[in-house]
Amino acid sequence: MTIEVNRSSWQVTLDVWRAMFLREIVSRISADRLGWVWLLIEPVLHIVLFVAIRQLMGRVRFIPGAEFVPWFVVGMMGFFLFRQAITRSMGAINGNKALFAYRQVQPLDAVLVRCFIEGLLKTLVLLLIVGGATVLEYHILPHDLLGVILIWGFIWLLGTSIGIVLSVLNTVMPETEKVVGLIMLPLYFLSGVMVPIQFLPHALHPYLLLNPITHGIESLRHQFFEHYQTIAGIDLMYMGQWTLCCFFLGLLLHLRYRIRLIAK
Amino acid sequence: MIEVANIYKRYHGLHGGDWVLKDVSFSIPPATSVGVLGRNGAGKSTLLRMLAGMDSPDKGTIQRNCRVSWPIGLGGGFQSNMTGRQNVKFVARVNGGESDMERIIAFVQDFAEIGRAFDQPLATYSSGMKSRLAFGLSLAFEFDVYLSDEATSVGDAAFRDKATEAFRSRMGKSSIVMVSHSTGILQDLCQAGLWLHQGKAYWFDALDDAITAYHKSIGK
Repeated sequence: MTIEVNRSSWQVTLDVWRAMFLREIVSRISADRLGWVWLLIEPVLHIVLFVAIRQLMGRVRFIPGAEFVPWFVVGMMGFFLFRQAITRSMGAINGNKALFAYRQVQPLDAVLVRCFIEGLLKTLVLLLIVGGATVLEYHILPHDLLGVILIWGFIWLLGTSIGIVLSVLNTVMPETEKVVGLIMLPLYFLSGVMVPIQFLPHALHPYLLLNPITHGIESLRHQFFEHYQTIAGIDLMYMGQWTLCCFFLGLLLHLRYRIRLIAK
Repeated sequence: MIEVANIYKRYHGLHGGDWVLKDVSFSIPPATSVGVLGRNGAGKSTLLRMLAGMDSPDKGTIQRNCRVSWPIGLGGGFQSNMTGRQNVKFVARVNGGESDMERIIAFVQDFAEIGRAFDQPLATYSSGMKSRLAFGLSLAFEFDVYLSDEATSVGDAAFRDKATEAFRSRMGKSSIVMVSHSTGILQDLCQAGLWLHQGKAYWFDALDDAITAYHKSIGK
């Protein structure tokens, strides 16, 4: 038999990630009849709906330094990337429980692979939507492409890190999912995705800036639109600190609750 | 060689109960197959899961100086929305068998003999088919010790013969630690016996002695 018996730990992990990736992507895309089409339909419907609501309300607000639709699309995609990494992480451990029978497969692998796939899919969707919007003659092509890639990656890292923490919490306390689901909607409005944060009362800004995803979304917009004016106090370092803290807290929790996570 | 020293195990949490295993020690010599006996809830599956490294004792140590399989059982190890083939591929990849994929698939298909169902989702399998697949899959890899948790109990006679044959041909190289309530297959495959009773484990060099002790305890 030619199976390599003595693989290094890294080699084992890479093999597991590869296997998990193939498994997850198949089930993610062939899960139901709509499959991967839904990946694109969902954000497009979301955009259409919210742009329509805004038109009906007749409140055509001026966004300093950007058109509304591109501004909204960029913020929404950033938020979706963040949200999806979190919600998919929370189901990752229960969804793969059967596979922890194999010693090589750790709960963290399931979470990381899912987040990676979500990042990949959302990136594809972003490319398609930016492409589509450009064809429809919106000014949405990024002013600083490298900056966009960097910040997009940062937002993904933030979502993944929080996802790692919540994946453990949700498995140990299943109520977590409900609470997070409840928080996500207000978070959507408080992160400046739909309602420009510039127009919220100035006195609220210090509190709104406690929310790390706001920093990511506003920075992302700044990389897209050269003359975009955001509020003072947007700081990527702050988001970075959240990411690092959550990442290590998450790893800690995964170590602490390892047996609880793999046990039935 | 598997060495179990002074392990204690209980389940914690809201519904946690008394000690499942209490100060259990034994060692399994190389190439010795062991039949694990005990009434329902005696801790047989718990012990097997700990031998496999899927769970850890509250106290005590387990040393594995050999390659141990995952517990081959009815429940775990398969994703029910994936086909048999996809499951096999997954396990092969996780175990580093990517380069050997064709041989592994051929082996499992040949051993399991489930025909076209191999490309159907696991959810459509009967328990006998699942155990055929699980057994075939684990035998496609070379382990020193195979762990089987009632995996044989639902198989038909042909399957039992096949499993027995597979282990006979590996005798001396590999061994099996087997939980089963059917003494027939234990007698076919195992030499030694381990009887779990009231949180303790009793080792018997001859399986028949273990079976006698077990039967006595349940008043048969």
